[in-house]
This record gives sequence, structure tokens and C-alpha cells, in this order.
Amino acid sequence: MEKSVATLDEGTTCTSWNYCGQRLATGSFNGFLSIFDSPDPASSSFTATSKIRIHEGGIVKIVWIPPEYGDAVACICNDGSLSLWEEIAEDGQPLQWKLCETFHSKGSTVLEAQFGVIRTSLKMVVAYSDGHAKVYELLDPFELKNWQLQAEIQNVIDSVSTFGKASCFSASISWNPQLNESQEPSFVLGFNSDTPQLNSSKVWVFDQAHHRWIPVAELALPLDKSDQVFAVAWAPNIGRAYELIAVATHKGITIWHVRLNPDLDGRLSLEKAALLSGYEGEVWQMEWDMSGMTLATSGTDGMVRLWQSNLNGAWLEQAAFEPTS
Amino acid sequence: MPDVAADSAASASGGALVPFVPDTEIAVVYPLHHGLKPPITRVSISWARGNNLRVSLLRNPPYNSDSDGEIGGKVVEVNLDSGAADVRESVQWRRIAYGSVTPFALLQSRKNSASSLSKLQSSPSPFHLDWWEHVMEYSKDIKELLGNPKSNYDPLIEDPKEVLKKGEEPTSLKAAWELMEMFYADKLCQSWLPERLVDWLADYDCLLSGDQPTVHSKLVEFQGTLVTLQVIEDDPKYWEVISSALAIGWLEIVVKLLRLHGSYQLDQLGHRETENGLVETVAVLISMMPRFRPELKNGKLGECFEAKPDFMKAWEKWREQITKLDSSAFWVPCHHRQTREGLKNLIQIMLGNTKILCTATAHWIELYISHFLFIRPFTAGLEGMYNLAQKCVQMKPMSSPHKLLRLIIGIIGENTEVVLAECSRGFGPWMVAHAIELLTARSDQADILLHKEHDDIGGISMEELHRLVYAQVLTSHFLTWQIAPVYLTSCMKQGMSLLEFLLYRQPAQHNQLLLKNLEICRLYELDHVSSNIMKVYEILKRILDFIYQMNTPSLVSLSSANSLPVAFVDSET
Amino acid sequence: MAITNLPKTPKIHRIPQPKFIDAIRWLSSPSPFQKSFITSLYDSDFHTPSLEIHSLDPSKTLTTALFSWTPPSRISSLKSTPSLFAASTFLGSLHIFKTPEEMSVLGNDMSDLGSKTSDMEPVVSVVGREFHVGSVGGVDLMEGGSECVSVGEDGRVNLVDERGDFRRVFDGNGLVSYSAVKWASPSEFVTGGCGFGLQWWDLRKSGAAVAQFKGNWDHGTTSGIIHSIDIHPSRKHTCLAGGSSGTVFAWDLRRQQEPMILSSIGSSDTMTHPLSESEVWEVQYDCYTKSLNSNISSSRILPAMISSEDGILAVIGQGEEPTELLAEPCAINSFDIDCQNPSDVICSLEWESIVILSRP
Repeated sequence: MEKSVATLDEGTTCTSWNYCGQRLATGSFNGFLSIFDSPDPASSSFTATSKIRIHEGGIVKIVWIPPEYGDAVACICNDGSLSLWEEIAEDGQPLQWKLCETFHSKGSTVLEAQFGVIRTSLKMVVAYSDGHAKVYELLDPFELKNWQLQAEIQNVIDSVSTFGKASCFSASISWNPQLNESQEPSFVLGFNSDTPQLNSSKVWVFDQAHHRWIPVAELALPLDKSDQVFAVAWAPNIGRAYELIAVATHKGITIWHVRLNPDLDGRLSLEKAALLSGYEGEVWQMEWDMSGMTLATSGTDGMVRLWQSNLNGAWLEQAAFEPTS
Repeated sequence: MPDVAADSAASASGGALVPFVPDTEIAVVYPLHHGLKPPITRVSISWARGNNLRVSLLRNPPYNSDSDGEIGGKVVEVNLDSGAADVRESVQWRRIAYGSVTPFALLQSRKNSASSLSKLQSSPSPFHLDWWEHVMEYSKDIKELLGNPKSNYDPLIEDPKEVLKKGEEPTSLKAAWELMEMFYADKLCQSWLPERLVDWLADYDCLLSGDQPTVHSKLVEFQGTLVTLQVIEDDPKYWEVISSALAIGWLEIVVKLLRLHGSYQLDQLGHRETENGLVETVAVLISMMPRFRPELKNGKLGECFEAKPDFMKAWEKWREQITKLDSSAFWVPCHHRQTREGLKNLIQIMLGNTKILCTATAHWIELYISHFLFIRPFTAGLEGMYNLAQKCVQMKPMSSPHKLLRLIIGIIGENTEVVLAECSRGFGPWMVAHAIELLTARSDQADILLHKEHDDIGGISMEELHRLVYAQVLTSHFLTWQIAPVYLTSCMKQGMSLLEFLLYRQPAQHNQLLLKNLEICRLYELDHVSSNIMKVYEILKRILDFIYQMNTPSLVSLSSANSLPVAFVDSET
Repeated sequence: MAITNLPKTPKIHRIPQPKFIDAIRWLSSPSPFQKSFITSLYDSDFHTPSLEIHSLDPSKTLTTALFSWTPPSRISSLKSTPSLFAASTFLGSLHIFKTPEEMSVLGNDMSDLGSKTSDMEPVVSVVGREFHVGSVGGVDLMEGGSECVSVGEDGRVNLVDERGDFRRVFDGNGLVSYSAVKWASPSEFVTGGCGFGLQWWDLRKSGAAVAQFKGNWDHGTTSGIIHSIDIHPSRKHTCLAGGSSGTVFAWDLRRQQEPMILSSIGSSDTMTHPLSESEVWEVQYDCYTKSLNSNISSSRILPAMISSEDGILAVIGQGEEPTELLAEPCAINSFDIDCQNPSDVICSLEWESIVILSRP
């Protein structure tokens, strides 16, 4: 049933596929960024075609930039820095990976970064260890250097709440993967931190009229609000009247139905559709398939699980995969 | 793909004949082989084409750069679907996928024009075919893909001892398709459904021999010993297989076997005249069996009657002849005990002795067929058929019924949801997506059920859901992804969005694929998608512009502003 | 479409294949009853490309391949002459083989052929980044000539001789890309690429193309790529080209600014109904179809056969109704007219099958 598509070097710490699954970027514990390609699009055998050292420490996470903006990746390193690398040709030389931009923040480290393309503009949300998140916008689509800070937000639903200095261990961001250009840009953000108010996942929507980001929904029941969030995933919507967002905490994976049209108070209507249990430990990653019908998850128990809803709207684990040598 | 409908079937079939085992709460766990030295410290996932999931398995990075000489990890791809059950070869499956595109698209376009026509005029036009006739045309095309009809090729010198002819290996896919065709689409066979089922079993009984024997498997076994048998009529197996074959109406095989009887041999005829007369009389009676059906295929035995009164008369007369033979005085001088008992047994079968029919058949479906042939030839209506099936299942219970038998129960139980669930579970997404056309061919009820929009699955109908699921199976393979748009565009609510996601995820840096994407956009008028594809592509131009600034070559005028800069530069080192 | 133009419809044989077919060409054969062809295949289950020679008996059944070779990647272009055939790859390599007839295998003892597949090896192989970077768009062999021309998506134009040495005719440095090439004479050839561009090269005048054409009738709205070029030996000044948007046109060196459009959706003046609206993958002059117009002046375009992405195989003539030979539900990737017996056409279909047409 399974076939091997790539063999990774010793010390690989993270992997990331590009939008069409034709390129693989990997990062290593000693700062090497490797790119894997296949000889033609029909093939599913990938070999390393370039390898460069981008950092002295380890690479923690790699995210591809949407294809409209070229072949480029964002790398988060273990010192908390974020850097953008682009494959370009210079001086008649063959294509090479070059550094475009580095993002530093005093006193805090970068935990997570995700890109969203909204109406021909590229946005990036970066979450930091102090519980803040910054939204950047690319000014010139041909210059991955020119980023403008659009907003700085704190992941709380109520702006008056106060708390001390936060310390976050991880953050999860998922953009609404919309193709529909009429919708306002939105993403969901959750933290794994020592500050209860920050943790629960909030849906952030860009308010065009006031040109600011506002939290419109909190994806947690009153008793679960302080639960640390391990992963979030916003499902592609191919025609549902509501959005599907999966949120993983230590209680399991919650599937939320979020209605897009806000009520009179400006809040979105929410419905907790299911709580999926079965994981012993932490959920590492959640990925929706293209149709938004199947959710794949991986976690500390090493298992890969597939979840689907049946015709009655009940979510069930349909299959699981256990790695064995 | 996990079956989307199985659970609803479980609830829908409460109190049914064959209760479904509801999906257990615990999902099946499959091993994922990677060949790495444990431990695996990190597992990350990414969806690839369609239902392919790529799993990266990473080992712990070495401490202090002390290499242990092992590779650091593997990426494996898992395919989560099988397009159609029974089709083991991916080549064969792709052939079915390719071949069903045209019939499916044709039927959809007919459906669209029929619905726009019915809006224009209130009464159906006499110049147009009824809808079920269009569906039958579609069904004929699909059936051809699932296997060719048995060849009518007859060898010049027929082997007298070849009882079973070797035809093509039938597939359960085709068997299931034919079942649904006869019950749901083919209006012409509605008056003689029981006999139609007799034909069906004749073609597909061999598929049912799994853990339990069938009449077919008994015959195959007997055929193997046939050449070694000296005095065939002394062997109890001989009489056993004859009565089994007779019970399910394989008359030509019965007659052929009877004529292998030793009394036909020239040197025996003299002293076994009476015995031979009895064997021949039974053979003749069998070949004259009245059949309540319009016609029989070449080489099949029996006399056909389409009108019920005619059949009744013939049936009564035939039974009278059998009864008369049963009580005739010729049995006394027949000294061969096995022949006498064997023939008497056949007579009991023809007279419809339930107990003997039950012994002669193996599966409940065989017993069911024997009831149609010898006890209740007038069984009509699905309710009557269902009650009879219930009775037969009680007489021959099975621990794990074959998927075809579960499908039959669903059909005659008039439970569309069960039929869909069985199709999906037993025969895969291809089957459901295509068989829905059969289910709705004549039934308004099924039509309503399949087109009802369900909120729990995002406001789409079952029909659309199954098409989306099948389209996603198609996208899993790089040779079949480009036929997915045909199915997606037949999905009113969510198909186009899924198509956009699909196109967005196609690699743009390869010329041929890019042109294919643009062609699909052109066909389905997705201009905004094609402009996005071009945008992804144009990014490469930026690189070229850069080179252009660096060194202006002499022929730069050739590169026009609108041209596609082709910089598929593989970074092979 | 005027299918009725022909007195009888062609006999059509469909031969499903277990693999995807990238290209297909007839090979010349000593016997009219034992035809053979070369095809480049891609096995999608094992992700392996192959180049195979098959023979075709009169019953049009296919048996095991006679010869097979495994190229380094999928084949991007395939051309054959009676003595040689050349195949280029997506990875930028070129491989030239002698035909089986030339190896004097066919025509001698055929008895042990067909039962098992023999290996074949190229007589010339050119690989490496100095040759082409990325896919080779097109190759062409000169009939009886000694050099093979190759053009690539990298904008390079190379000549390869029989020893396997190559020389660069032009390097577009990736600013231009070429997707088709065809010899016009031993010293001239025509290349095609983006923007419906055609370039006429003369080896006696090095450095740049001697003439070039750019079709702008689509006003830059489509991809506008030339996929195939043909030049008739009797009219070396005219080049037939097929490409995007169902475009088929002829470019006459003597009237460089007046291309003769045979079919196109971009031009409303020539035809009301274009033959195809998608990519025209292959064009070849069809010497089998006789022009209805007896006035064969040298300026008149000879009948041409085309195959397209939307599944059309048809013959078009200047000012005549096209004759559709096939209308398939999938793309016809490539076709070849048998030069020994031009009534026979072999096509490769996107849905993994070969179609052989025998025209009446």
C-alpha cells in the first residue's frame, strides 16, 4: 500500500511539500536546507537537488510561500529567527537559493508563520513566544524583501483583559484557504502557553472598513477556554454554508462549524460538531484533504489517523496507520 | 476511501434480513512500513494528489554530530483508495475509468436537455425515447467495459465430456451491475424477473463459491473426475450434480450429463432398454420444461411462454406428464438402483419437493432460484420476492454472506440506502457514482432520496457526494486526474470549487501540464483560474527579466511580452 | 465536418496499451505485411519510461516488443528516417539509434523475433548540462543526412553529428524557448516556439536566424506555442506549423509577412468554424489526400493532417472543408503517416491506447 518517495539525510528535523506536491524542502538539526525534486511531474521519486546551510543552529520549521510569489520558503530556526529564502538566478548562474529577508524580534522568538493570499496580496502571520502575533503584507509582489507590518495583535477575544508576561511554547496558525475573492481574509490562531487567555483558538477577520484585524470567534466552550492548543486546521470549503475548523487540545480534536455571516453583534455563529478522541498524547499536525471531507492527523503516539463525517454528521475515525520498520 | 454511507445503512437496515454489522468504533489500523531503524521521533503528513497521503518519518537527530551512519528519515506515500473492487490491475481499472467517461457525459447531457425540454412542454414528446431507454443504452456501454459477453464460439468437434464451458472470468463488478440493471432500469424484464435471475445465477454462480460450495463448484469438481469414471451411473456424485444442476435450471447441462448414462452405449442398449427409456424420457421432459419468459438464448433448453394463461396450461400439462411418469409401471423392471433413485429424485425436483430442492442446492440464492423454477413461477412483485428470500435464508443461513448476496437483499428489500451502502462497501466509488443512474432510472422514490440535500454533509445530495468521492479517486492518479472535471462539472453545488482547488494544485512549471490545465479552464470557462495559473507561471519571467538586465542578447526580440518564458531549469547537479 | 468527403470510412484498429504513450512513429519495413513502429512509453505504476519497437502483422495484433531500451527520463520528442531514429528526453539528453532494418535484423530471420524482447542500444547519446538544460523541445533527423538538430526549452539550438559530437548553433539563454524543429535542406532548418514564433536558420550564415516570424493574431491572449513543424521536400520554402488555439498555418519564405492560416480560432477572416480550439500537437503533410483542386501551383498549400488536444485527427486543405478522421474523447498526442504506404496512419491517444487507421 505504501511506497517510498524520498530518503532523508541524517539529522533531518522537518519537512514541507510545496503547493502541488512536486517539491520537498527539508531542514536539519545543523541548519541545512535541502530541496528535493522529481525528474518529471508524473514521477513520485524525489531526490535532493540542492542543499545549502542557512543557519548555525537547527531548522525547526519550513513553510513554502504560495506559488504566485515564486519558489521560496520561510524557515524558523531554533534561535527563534525567521528567514525567507528564494530560488533565483543571478548573473547568468543557474538557480540558487538566496536569503531575502530575516525577521527578528527583541526578547521573543518566532514560533510559527503562515502565508495567505488574499485578492492578489500576500500576507504572513507570525506568532511569537510572548503571545503576540504580527501580520505582514508584501508590498511588491516581485520583491520578497519588502514586507510591511500591517498589524500586531494579541490572541485575546476581549481587548480589555490584562495579564502578565506570557510565555508560549508553541503556536498554531491556519489561514482560511479560500478561493473566493469576495470574502474577507481570515485565519485562526491558537497558543500553547502559560497564559489561559491566550490559548484558545480565535478566528481573526480583517475588517476592511476600519482596516484592522478583529477577533470574531473563540473556538472553545466556556470550560475549555484555557486549554492549550496543539494544532489548528481550517478546511477548504467547496460549497458548504459553514466553515470547518479543527482544533486539537489535550481533550482531543474538536471540529467546529463556523457560519460566515456574522449576527447583529458581529460575532460568528459557532457549533461544536464533534470531539474526536483516540489520541493518547499531543496532536502534532492536522491536514484537511482538498475537498475538506477528510482530516488527517499525526501525533506523539506516532500514529496517522483519518477522520470523516458520515451522512448523519457523526465524525468517525476511518483508518489509522502505525509506522513499523 | 472509507465508505461514506456504511453507517447510515446500519441504521437504515434495522430489523433487516441480513443485519449489517455497524462500523465498529475502533478504526482499522494498517501498518506503515518504512524500514528505518527505530525510534521514529516525528511523523508529519501532507496530502498529495487526490487521496494520496505523504507521511514523513523522522529519526532523532544525532547528538554532538556523532553520526550513527543511518539515514535520517523516509517519506512514504499511501494511497487510500481503490477505484473499483475486484479490479486488481491498475491498468484494467484505468481502462474502466476512461471508458465510462463518454457514456456518463452523454447521459448527463441527455438528462440536461430532457429537463430543459420538459420545462418547455408539459406532455412528453412521442418522438423521444423514455428515460429508462437512455439509461439502458448507458448501461450497455458500461457493461461492455466490465467484461465482454461470453463468446458464442462453439468448437466444431464438441467434447462430449465437457460439461461446463469455459467462458471469460466474470467479475463481481459486472454481476452487481447486471443486478441493478435488471431491477432498476430494464423495464422489459420486469414481467419475468424470476427467470432473469435464473440467467444471472447461471452467469455468476461461480463467483459465490468462496468458503461455501456452490452448484458450480460441485460441477467443476465432478468434471475433473469425469474422465476417470468407468461406470458413471454407479457414482452417487453423478446423480448428485445432476439434481443440483436441475434445481437451479441448468437444463442443458442436466440433459448432457444424463446422456452420458451407460445405458446409451451401443453394447448396453440391448439389455438396459427400459432403463434407457426412463433416462431418455426424463431428459426429454426436462428439455420441454415450460419457462415463463419471452425467449431463451441459443442452446438453452425449455419452452418459452410469454402470456400467463399459455404458460399455466403448459405448466399443468408438463406436471401431469411428470406425475404420470412417476407412477408408471416401467420403474419395476428398472434394476439399476442408482438410476431408479436418481431419476425419481429428479422427478421430485421437477414436482417442486421443497426438501429435495433444499438438499440439491448449496447457497440460499440457489434454493431461491429453484423455488422460482419449480414451486412459485409466478412470484411477482418485490414484496413477494423478499418474503421468499427471507424463507430461503432461514433454510440456508450463512455466517458471512457474499457481497453480491447482500446487494440482492438490499434490492429486493427495496432499501435504496442499503443498496448504496453495499455498492460503496463492496464495489467501490466507481460503482456508486455510476450505478446511481440505474437506481434513479424508473424510480421517483430513489430519485428523491438521492437528490435530497443533506445539511450534515454540507448541503449536497447523495448523488453529488458520491460523484465528488469518485472524482477525488480519479485525481489520485496522474493519468486519470484530467477526467475528474467531467464528474465535477456534473456536481451542481460543490463540483466547480473542488475543480478550482484541483487546478490550483497542479504543477505549473511543466509545459504539457500547464497547457492541459489551461485547456480544462477553457472548456469549463474558468477564466479566473487560468489567469491565476498564468500568474504562477509568470513568476518565472521575473527571473528572466533579471537576466535580461544583466546581459541583453541579440535575439531578445524573439521573446515577446505575452510569450511563456520557459525556464524549466532542473537543478540537477 | 465533412466525413462524407471520403467514399468509404477508414478501417480503425484500437490497441489498448498498459502504459502512457508519449510519441509514436512508423519505421520503414522491407515487407508491406510486416509493419513496425517505434513508440516511447511511460509506465505509471513503476514510473519507468521505455522506448520500444513493435511489429504489426496484418491482423493488427501486438505481441511482445521486438526491441526495448530504457531512457534516462521520459521522451520529449521522437523522429525517424528509414535508417535512423532519434529520441530526446525531458532531462535534456539526445539518443540516436539505427533502425532494425539498418541493423539488418528485420528482413533476415524473423523466426525468433516476437517471442522475446531484445535490448537495443543507441549509436549516439548526448547528455549533460552543456548540451541542454531542461527538456529538449524537438529533434529532427535529415533524410540521408548525417546531422541531427535539437532545440530546447532552454533556448539552445544544437547540431549533433554521427560521432556524437555536438556544436551550438545558438544559445537563447532561457530567454526564448523552442518546442519544434524541422530540416528544410541539408543546411537549413526551421524552429518554432512561443508567441507562434518561427525562425529560419541557415548554417552557412551563423549567429542568428536568417528570417523570423511572429504570429500575433491571438493578441497575446493564449500561450501561443508551436508544437510541430513540417516541410514538404518539393516545397522547401514553405513551412507548415501547428500550435496553440487550434492554429495551423503555413509560412512562405517568399511572402514572410503573409502567413496562410488553415485553421485558427484567433482569426475570423479565414474560417468560420475552426477544426479544433485547443492545442494542435502534430502536423504532417498528407500525401495520400489528393487536393480536389487540380490547380497545383507551387504557392498552394498541400493537404495537411493534424491531431489535437481535443481529440481531432483531420486533414485540411487550403480553401477546402476539413475531413475529420477521428473524434476521440481524449487528446491525440502524436501521429505518423506511413511514408511507404501513406494510407496508413498510426496515432497515440492520451487514454493509453494506439489507433491505427487504414484509409480506403
